[in-house]
Amino acid sequence: MRNLLLLIAKYGSTIVFILLEVICFYIIISFNQSQGEIWKHSTNLLSGNINERVQNTSDYFALEAINDSLLTENAKLLESIINYRVFSKENEFQDFESLDSNLIEYKFVPARITNKTFNKRNNYITLNKGLQDSVKIGMGVISSNGIVGIVKNVSNHYSLVMSILHSQSKISAAIKNNDFHGTLVWDEMDPKKIKLISLPKHASVNVGDTIVTSGYSTVFPYGIEIGKVHDYAVETNEDSFEVEVDLFNDIPAVTHAYIIQSIKLEEKNEIESEAEDEL
Amino acid sequence: MNYNWLSILFRFVLLVALQILVFKRIPFEYGILSYSHIFIYPLWVMLLPFKTPKSVLLIAGFFMGMTIDIFYQSYGVHAAALVFSAYIRDFIFRIIEPDIGYDLDEPFNIKRLGVIWYLSYSALFLLLHLFVYFSVEVFSFVYFYEIMVSTITSLLFSLIIVFIFVLIFNPKS
Repeated sequence: MRNLLLLIAKYGSTIVFILLEVICFYIIISFNQSQGEIWKHSTNLLSGNINERVQNTSDYFALEAINDSLLTENAKLLESIINYRVFSKENEFQDFESLDSNLIEYKFVPARITNKTFNKRNNYITLNKGLQDSVKIGMGVISSNGIVGIVKNVSNHYSLVMSILHSQSKISAAIKNNDFHGTLVWDEMDPKKIKLISLPKHASVNVGDTIVTSGYSTVFPYGIEIGKVHDYAVETNEDSFEVEVDLFNDIPAVTHAYIIQSIKLEEKNEIESEAEDEL
Repeated sequence: MNYNWLSILFRFVLLVALQILVFKRIPFEYGILSYSHIFIYPLWVMLLPFKTPKSVLLIAGFFMGMTIDIFYQSYGVHAAALVFSAYIRDFIFRIIEPDIGYDLDEPFNIKRLGVIWYLSYSALFLLLHLFVYFSVEVFSFVYFYEIMVSTITSLLFSLIIVFIFVLIFNPKS
């Protein structure tokens, strides 16, 4: 305390000086237009800079939430596009406007890939959506560039997907525009290539044709693009083509996926199993 | 108490009146001189007695500056400059201390200290005062050249007027 008083006694006039100058500058800034504007502009430059840095940092932390919301949005858009496509294929002579919620066949659940393999003979992918988001065994999984696989196992929060890069994976696919269909299998160790087998010999195939899902299984709706024809040949001792397909989807690089819920899946399974029982 | 409080008060009124009624109205409209001013009011702080406590000097400067600001409608600008000038008055005294030294009990005695001393004191004081004034008025060192030109031209005019004032009203008497 004594030191403080000494300090004031010694530098009292300097303290008064600083005090008076601060008052003067406060008066200058608040009561003079041009000086006030310069002051505001300068402080805005400084605070704007700081605000921008803070914003950038907080934006970075918000990226995950933004990603999730974009994913949900994408799922909704995909849902409507694919439902329109399916509807238009089934009802060629009706107009699109009559599509309402009753006609929606497929729903999409956005999911993040939490784990995956792609360099083994049998590859699996783990997604962060499970029973809680009504994911069920047998549902198809796609990403923005094409198909990913089929759900094989579900827990409360996660689901295990059998990737199309799996020796047991068999997915029905067709050549776009002419609807000849075959089965997709993966028998090479190249994650960029897949094979379409059992394609009828009389089908017209050209290098460069697009391969899409056929829509016969309800796992995948009709018309999701899978890849392009790279090469084709007649299967040995068979009456069918074997087509080599370049995948559009780069499975090792995929980070987000959509699980397809088919509303008619159970109905279809029921009627098909009845038929099998009768046989 | 050698000096006369009344004369200090009278000088305050006289300097403010001269500044507002005369020197504020002198138009400078010749190119480089456009932003020049004649300032005579700093003389009041310049001529306050040697022994005035520094804090009192600062408050006096603030008071005089604000009075001028009210008439110039540039609130705080003259005050900021004059408070600064009052703060560095001691340092100016130390720089130009004559061989015979200051007589601390006497008010400014031009005859004793000499015209040269008085001129250099006024020139230094006004130079710093004007420089701070124009800097605060423009409020940006981007216009450093303009600030310097205004300071120099204003200094020349103000110095002449301040000198004439002291010759007419010898503060000692």
